[in-house]
Amino acid sequence: MSLVEPIRVVSLPGRSGLAGRLLRRPSAVAGLALLGAIVGMAAGADVLYPADPLDMVGTPFLWPGADPDFPLGTDMLGRDIAAGIFHGARMSLLIGAVATLVSLLIGVGVGAVAGFFGGRTDHALMHVTELFQTIPPFLFAIVIVAVLQPNVVTVVLAIGLTSWPSLARLVRAEVLRLRDGEMVQASIAIGLSDARIILAHVLPNVLAPIVVSASIMVASAILTESSLAFLGLGDPNIVSWGSMVGSGREVLRTDWYVATVPGLAIVAAVLALNLLGDGLNDALDPRQNRR
Amino acid sequence: MTAHASSPLLLRAASAAAVAATLLTGGALAQTPQNGGTLTAIVQPEPVTLTSAINTAAPTGFISGNVFDGLVDYGTDLTPRPALAERWEVAPDGLSITFHLRKGVTWHDGHPFTAADVKWTLENVWKTIHPRNQATFGRVTRVETPDDHTVILRLSEPSLAILSSVNSNGAQILPKHLYEGTDILNNPHNLKPVGTGAYVFKEWSKGNHVILERNPNYWDKGKPHIDRIVFKVIPDAAARAAALEKGDVQYAVFSPVPLKDAERLGKLPNLKIETRGYEWISPWLFFDLNVDTPYLKDVRVRHAIAHALDRKAIANVVWYGFAKPAISPVPSTLGAFHDATVPQYEFDPKKAEALLDEAGFKRGADGVRFTLTHDFIPYGDDYKRTGEYLKQALKKVGIEVTIRSQDTAAFTKRVYGDRDFDISSAWFAAFSDPQVGVTRAYWSGWIGKNTPWTNGSGYRSAEVDALIAKAQGLARQEDRIATFKQLQQTVQSDLPSIPLVELKFFTVHAASLKDVVTRGDQIYGSLKDAWFDKAPTN
Amino acid sequence: MTTRGKTGRRLRFWTGRIVHMALVVFGIAVVNFFLLHLAPGDAAQVLAGEAGSATPEYLAALRRQFGLDQPLPVQFVRYVGHLLTLDLGFSFRHGLPVSDLIAQRLPATLLLMAASIGFAVVAGSALGAVAARHAGRLADTLISTLALLFYATPVFWIGLVLVVIFSVGLDWLPVGGMTSVEAGYAGWDHVRDVARHLVLPAATLGLFYLAIYTRLMRAATLEVTTQDFVRTAVAKGLTARRIAVRHVLRNALLPVVTMLGVQVGSILGGAVLVETIFAWPGLGRLAFEALFQRDLNLLLGILLCSSAVVVVVNLAVDLLYTVLDPRIELAR
Repeated sequence: MSLVEPIRVVSLPGRSGLAGRLLRRPSAVAGLALLGAIVGMAAGADVLYPADPLDMVGTPFLWPGADPDFPLGTDMLGRDIAAGIFHGARMSLLIGAVATLVSLLIGVGVGAVAGFFGGRTDHALMHVTELFQTIPPFLFAIVIVAVLQPNVVTVVLAIGLTSWPSLARLVRAEVLRLRDGEMVQASIAIGLSDARIILAHVLPNVLAPIVVSASIMVASAILTESSLAFLGLGDPNIVSWGSMVGSGREVLRTDWYVATVPGLAIVAAVLALNLLGDGLNDALDPRQNRR
Repeated sequence: MTAHASSPLLLRAASAAAVAATLLTGGALAQTPQNGGTLTAIVQPEPVTLTSAINTAAPTGFISGNVFDGLVDYGTDLTPRPALAERWEVAPDGLSITFHLRKGVTWHDGHPFTAADVKWTLENVWKTIHPRNQATFGRVTRVETPDDHTVILRLSEPSLAILSSVNSNGAQILPKHLYEGTDILNNPHNLKPVGTGAYVFKEWSKGNHVILERNPNYWDKGKPHIDRIVFKVIPDAAARAAALEKGDVQYAVFSPVPLKDAERLGKLPNLKIETRGYEWISPWLFFDLNVDTPYLKDVRVRHAIAHALDRKAIANVVWYGFAKPAISPVPSTLGAFHDATVPQYEFDPKKAEALLDEAGFKRGADGVRFTLTHDFIPYGDDYKRTGEYLKQALKKVGIEVTIRSQDTAAFTKRVYGDRDFDISSAWFAAFSDPQVGVTRAYWSGWIGKNTPWTNGSGYRSAEVDALIAKAQGLARQEDRIATFKQLQQTVQSDLPSIPLVELKFFTVHAASLKDVVTRGDQIYGSLKDAWFDKAPTN
Repeated sequence: MTTRGKTGRRLRFWTGRIVHMALVVFGIAVVNFFLLHLAPGDAAQVLAGEAGSATPEYLAALRRQFGLDQPLPVQFVRYVGHLLTLDLGFSFRHGLPVSDLIAQRLPATLLLMAASIGFAVVAGSALGAVAARHAGRLADTLISTLALLFYATPVFWIGLVLVVIFSVGLDWLPVGGMTSVEAGYAGWDHVRDVARHLVLPAATLGLFYLAIYTRLMRAATLEVTTQDFVRTAVAKGLTARRIAVRHVLRNALLPVVTMLGVQVGSILGGAVLVETIFAWPGLGRLAFEALFQRDLNLLLGILLCSSAVVVVVNLAVDLLYTVLDPRIELAR
């Protein structure tokens, strides 16, 4: 499910122009700053918290601020929540990014091939897409994770496998439009291979909506991962924000900070990615720029 | 267990004595029960069927115990007390058991309850399709019913365990007139049961609730006190806590809320936390160490793992105090059967490291000796936390643990079928006799049979197998106790599985709900004694 | 175009859609049948696991009863055979036909979906319209930020917090479930009772989608107000309210309706979470339980039914389109 429907986007403007237009939007700047901070946390996790975030290092249930060694407190097994947040940033972003990558590979692939070749190929691929789109995605993700048994790989796979259909449709529509354009027709005329045309001449021109979609999909993936963890379909060997919320929810009524701190981190990340996606969409939309 | 121990040959619980006991508890409360009101309870998960005779799952037993009475029920000291059987005798040679049934009892449809029902159920259900009783009643060669109210079991060899398993959950009696000649597993009455108990089945709305109503013709005159029981299905633990806290629900069993929430709810004036009523189950939690794997086949490694674990921390931190460190696989609640002198493995990581070094598994350059997998029993966060504790505890002695999570179907197949694991966790009900609940964890005949909750470690010991066989056929309770003690000594030194803690399951109930826990098998028993001093308004 | 030609096209359109729909549903059955049978363990094992103990004979009896002793291709052929006669099979765990179980639970899920979407559309559209009227000002920013915050917060989190505030704290609404069974309401009291139980779950699920409709409505309103015919209307001297109702709303509803079709699948998925938190007796929870109980006939039935709901809603959306905008014709 995406908030932004980047259908209006036509082409990717020059890079400096894009940055400039992005930076003129305060919400996009806020999103970028927030996302930058989260990426910084992920990058700095090993330096600031070199130990395993799963180590039981303190007294269980220390509230945030109660002990300067554990600024965000400790959880039910005495694990440092701050360490979890830093390492979790890395894992959550990674889960979001890899799931999105899986989704992009399928979605862009299916969309580009269907749109470019049209006819029977298009028909068949769109049928498959519709099939996937018709099964409620979260329900399908649950089934995949449960069947393959929950661990970080299956969670990523399930999210990726269930979030590509709308992207495929988007890419297909764009490619259909480009296919009859002069550049592609010229490439066909000079005998370039289909793969080459798609990779070199079609895809770069649909990059803009893909980039916007991707930023929103990363956010959705982070949310989905936390929902799966809430239902007990998480990986206990890793620390992600989702798994932290999942394990903290049983003490929600007594020690609410255990689930709230990572919950807020999720909100911040999803918010940042959506603001960025919005900003990108606006910055890439030529109609908006005229205003 | 005291009754078994004190009168080993002639187990007779005279009804007079039991009546006195009931009066005693009643007198101690010094309050007259009031009649009326609707009790709302939580059943979770939703049961599959409402007949314990074909499915012994906890939610089924929790509801079914109100619809069906057993031949007996069990006190908090696990002595059998009269229910549908007024009294019973075991012959001195142990080769026959006679039950004298209560007269004037009728099924909810008005049909009289007789010895024929017991005989039919034993022969057609307990001995054939019951998930647990085929072993317990296996030695019954013949059932005689000299009159409508006497049942005599003739045994090929003594089988004292029978008397610890004849309550409503252990050996539920079905109405012969509704089941005879039908496909028992698919009989429609499994979903709308007809019993003899204090409550009559009214309605089951799948996914919502089960409603029972007071049986006006109940044999125990004056009972039950409460008019109606509504069992609601509430899947989320936080929602269960909220429903109890608000008073929407007045009774919930089997640790219905997160352990940490239980502490909080217990402090509220309108709620009470109760850990009695689970004695008949006597659950203990343990790690099974797969003895067929390269590292765990070495007994020194198994001892080392035991030394690396702090069972006190598991009880107090991981289980928030709702557990106590286990000494032996036979829980202390089983009284005389429990052996406190078995080998103990105190928390000592240094010793653990020394043992691992001795076994030849030195720490590598990265500090890791070897890697094991851990599959935790998928029954909730508490077991996952126990697994997380194991991971961190073993990491300290140089063993890396990868936790694998899965659902019940995958777990039982992996552990009891494919045996594709290193360390698994599980809790078993010991029941009131080790023969029923404990020996299954060690008997080699179960290995690889794909039967859940049996010998997971793959432990094969001719000595232990012989002890198990011997204890089953002994007629004197003292001899059985001695045999089970010997068994505990052996398995605790071989240590194929590490007993961690005796779990303290708890019940949450409204403070206004009185006499809700009156027996050792309460969670599978009847609520006929319960009453409200102030009925909930809803 | 003649009426006859139009009817013929309609007929062709509908038969085409229905055949297509049947194909999609059949494809889903095939995919899921084999996917689900990859899951380790089976229903008999789950039942035995729950029972606490079981003998191999008991397990074998259960497998025979469930038809699990048959090879997979045989099971598949049987399943498809049943499906062709519109029979979804039997849930051995529940001892009931799958269609009965679904029929019991589907209304609750549809009610929850309708209420959540209704809430999201109405509240979202109102907020969006307000935001559009105050575009660029504080109210606009506040509304957009708030809506985005709800969107970014995990659904289950919102649900749990709402329970703590409105049920436990303020004691305004029930904690969960769909009815107060104890009270035994009938008639209008029953309707009111269900409505009270519906508020929190519908709000929880609806809040997530609120942002989408707020945003759609805001954009659509802004866009429509700049269009010629609205300017004309203003020039003709129509009152602001009539313009809003007649033109702006009517035109802005098109993207909202489109969104409905896109979202229906996602809402069904979200229902799993909400039904779990609020003990709402719907299909999502049944599916979740069926999965872990390896009640594959039931799970397959629910997946098929959910897909059918998605397909039907999308058909309805197409229809609604033609009503909202007569210029659009039924065609692909």
